[in-house]
Amino acid sequence: MKFLCVPCDSPMKLQTVGPPERGSLSVVYSCPECGYEIAMLTNAYETQVVQSLGVRIGPEGGEKASTAGCPFSGMIPAKGAETPGLTAPEPVRWTAAAEARLANVPEFVRPMARTGIEKFAREKGFFEIDERVLDAARDFFGM
Amino acid sequence: MKSYHDIVGDGGSRVLEQVAEQRARITDGLAGVRHLVAIGSGKGGVGKSTLTLHLAGALRARGLRIAILDADFNGPSQARMAGVQEALFVPGRQKVSLPRTTNGIGVFSMGSVIPESAALEFESAAGGESQTWRATREFALLGEILAAFEWGTLDLLMIDLPPGAERTVQYAEFLPRTSFVLVTIPSEVARGVVARSVTTLPKNRIVGYVENMSGYYCRGCDEIRPLFDSPNAPSFGIPCLGTVPFDPELARRCDSGLPLTDLADTPVTRALDDVARQLVEGLE
Repeated sequence: MKFLCVPCDSPMKLQTVGPPERGSLSVVYSCPECGYEIAMLTNAYETQVVQSLGVRIGPEGGEKASTAGCPFSGMIPAKGAETPGLTAPEPVRWTAAAEARLANVPEFVRPMARTGIEKFAREKGFFEIDERVLDAARDFFGM
Repeated sequence: MKSYHDIVGDGGSRVLEQVAEQRARITDGLAGVRHLVAIGSGKGGVGKSTLTLHLAGALRARGLRIAILDADFNGPSQARMAGVQEALFVPGRQKVSLPRTTNGIGVFSMGSVIPESAALEFESAAGGESQTWRATREFALLGEILAAFEWGTLDLLMIDLPPGAERTVQYAEFLPRTSFVLVTIPSEVARGVVARSVTTLPKNRIVGYVENMSGYYCRGCDEIRPLFDSPNAPSFGIPCLGTVPFDPELARRCDSGLPLTDLADTPVTRALDDVARQLVEGLE
């Protein structure tokens, strides 16, 4: 979708994207010639269509304002999630390098990957997950 | 006044560019894969998933490097059958490692992360009207998986398709490099649905069809006995890659996720090996 400032016959530029509110995005465009601003307010279906493509909307060069965060996050019930009433397992620390590698896992399965690796680490007696532990997990599962 | 096509770019939303970047990441991720083969039908319940796994095993036994992508996100079965239900998705330095069977077949299946007691759910801004967007989202998810996982160097990536003739066509459009193997059973109903799939796919991308459950193998008398009373051979106008009888022992192993590597030589394993050979020949 493109926006044209009719009086200036000039393409408008995306300025800001407001966070989704009840399924609606507020996307502000302005004309670089006359400074006129308009806001496109999407309905829930329009927001959803953009989300479903797995893309994000935000001004070029600036911090990207997501349509609604990761389109996949929260869609899968976490396997191995904590059971209410049971004692929480001892926390496991992740090193920055291991966290960086975890970011390679698609967001939609990242929570399950994190939980599974932490469980593996505890079982092997590690309370800090570094790249060595990740490599050990790969080897253990024959990857 | 300028028209849409007079304006370069889209003013900053970059939706088209992002979609193009996604496609480029998929192409990149699959660069080491020689053949993409989708196992489809259109019809459900004809044994696409079991045949995919068995064929993968037969191809692996021939020394080929194989992986399976279970594209049936809503009814994933490869994780259980291949014995990778408990596998982790472990991140490497760039990509996510692929869970593997004991004989080295890489397997991605949603069944490794979604318990069988749960269903795949998407968050939605559209208030549950998923008929308006769900297919788009599932294909975006497929793209994310193809781009993120470490497929490596493969002779074949086998894609186990969900049922539905329309989905089969959508996969053909989404993955232009993919060849198709269609699965039927000796039933006129199944053949009718498969015939529809044949008409919707480009002929040059169909390697052929396999007739699954073509009788059953009785271990007691070491014979193939009939399952369906269907005397007419199908006439799809595409090559037949072979017929595979139903084997209760194979079904038992699939249910339990037991390895298929130590199977005795039977008419069924020979039939699978023959289909694997025909498939490779068809692809080459």
